Amino acid sequence: MVIKVAHYINQFFAGLGGEDAAGAPPLRLEGAVGPGKGLGFEVAVTLACGDDYFGEHEEDALAQLLRWLDEEKVDVLICGPSFGSGRYGYACGSLAREAARRGVPAVCGMHPESPGVLAAEGAAYVVPTDAKVTGMRAALPQMAALARRLAAGETIGPPAEEGYMPRGLRRNEIADLTGAQRAIELLLAKLAGDVRTEVTASFDDVPPPPPIADMADATVALVTESGLVPQGNPDRLESNRAHAWLSYSLEGLAGFEAADWETVHGGYGTSVANADPNRLVPLDAVRHLVAEGRVGSLHETLYTTTGNSTPVATAAKFGQEIAQRLRDAGVQAVILTGT
Amino acid sequence: MFITALPTIATMVGTNRTLRGVAVTSPVGEPSLGAEDELALRRGIVEQAVAMLSTEVKPRTVWEART
Repeated sequence: MVIKVAHYINQFFAGLGGEDAAGAPPLRLEGAVGPGKGLGFEVAVTLACGDDYFGEHEEDALAQLLRWLDEEKVDVLICGPSFGSGRYGYACGSLAREAARRGVPAVCGMHPESPGVLAAEGAAYVVPTDAKVTGMRAALPQMAALARRLAAGETIGPPAEEGYMPRGLRRNEIADLTGAQRAIELLLAKLAGDVRTEVTASFDDVPPPPPIADMADATVALVTESGLVPQGNPDRLESNRAHAWLSYSLEGLAGFEAADWETVHGGYGTSVANADPNRLVPLDAVRHLVAEGRVGSLHETLYTTTGNSTPVATAAKFGQEIAQRLRDAGVQAVILTGT
Repeated sequence: MFITALPTIATMVGTNRTLRGVAVTSPVGEPSLGAEDELALRRGIVEQAVAMLSTEVKPRTVWEART
């Protein structure tokens, strides 16, 4: 059966460039481009967009991409694979979701920790892949196989059997064993080191703290995941998969000087930030507001890490540890900046 | 509160007070502006951040940048 396929990729896989081309607006190309050539069937049209452009102009980008998709009348949309990428994964998951909701089945491929999995909202199928692009050879045939079946209108079985991420859907079925028996099996398996679950956990629901009555009395702290560190990165913060957060004194600093600070984050183009690190953490502006009495005081320690390919559990641990430090220091509020 | 150019991701994981930042590569900066104008922009963003901290919000609230 000949199926009509559209493929979505980012600026890098479309050959436009790396971070320097992350601001590229949506692009439509005939036929297969880059990894699309490895899917094993004819790609009718390739759609591409810069990762920063998509994130910053999501509505416009989606509107344009969906318009092109609509014109093609494809049987299935394939997005990525985007591996561990956050922005690319988010774009893939979002486009796949919207396409699927408009009747075009969609398949993505990405690392299970990518924000694109949540962005897909269960509307699209996500094939789990490696974090690194070396997983390309394994990912493409898996995505292609699922895409082919979706295009043919086949019913797809449960995630564990068919090799895709759980979509958050529940189908009722009669189990062979009672809940009590299955619970004992899960417990015995866990004791043997095999941790399984029938229901996937979701993120915490934390109610918003009450507002601060008067910011003129409050101590504010600056925290960042932008990878900002003193020039030379003395404590060797990683550019991805940070194993720790770090803290540095802000005493005596009216702002961040480019000569004294740098970012080591490997997940975004850093030249703009390195030219003026206040673009990552607004130290200069906060100092002004404190001087004018709009904010009580600034906590004189910066907490920093690289938020790039950080496992969720690790990020949660960092957050809890930093929060505890801030509470112990009497800080009332945090301005956290992210890239 | 959290300043980021990707507020949807922040909301997805349950962040309650998010302010949309300028760009992925510079959440609180705009390199096309001169130094004075850029500092004024950054001050404006921080003022909004300060306002958000002292405002009651529903869960997962996102504020857009004031223009």
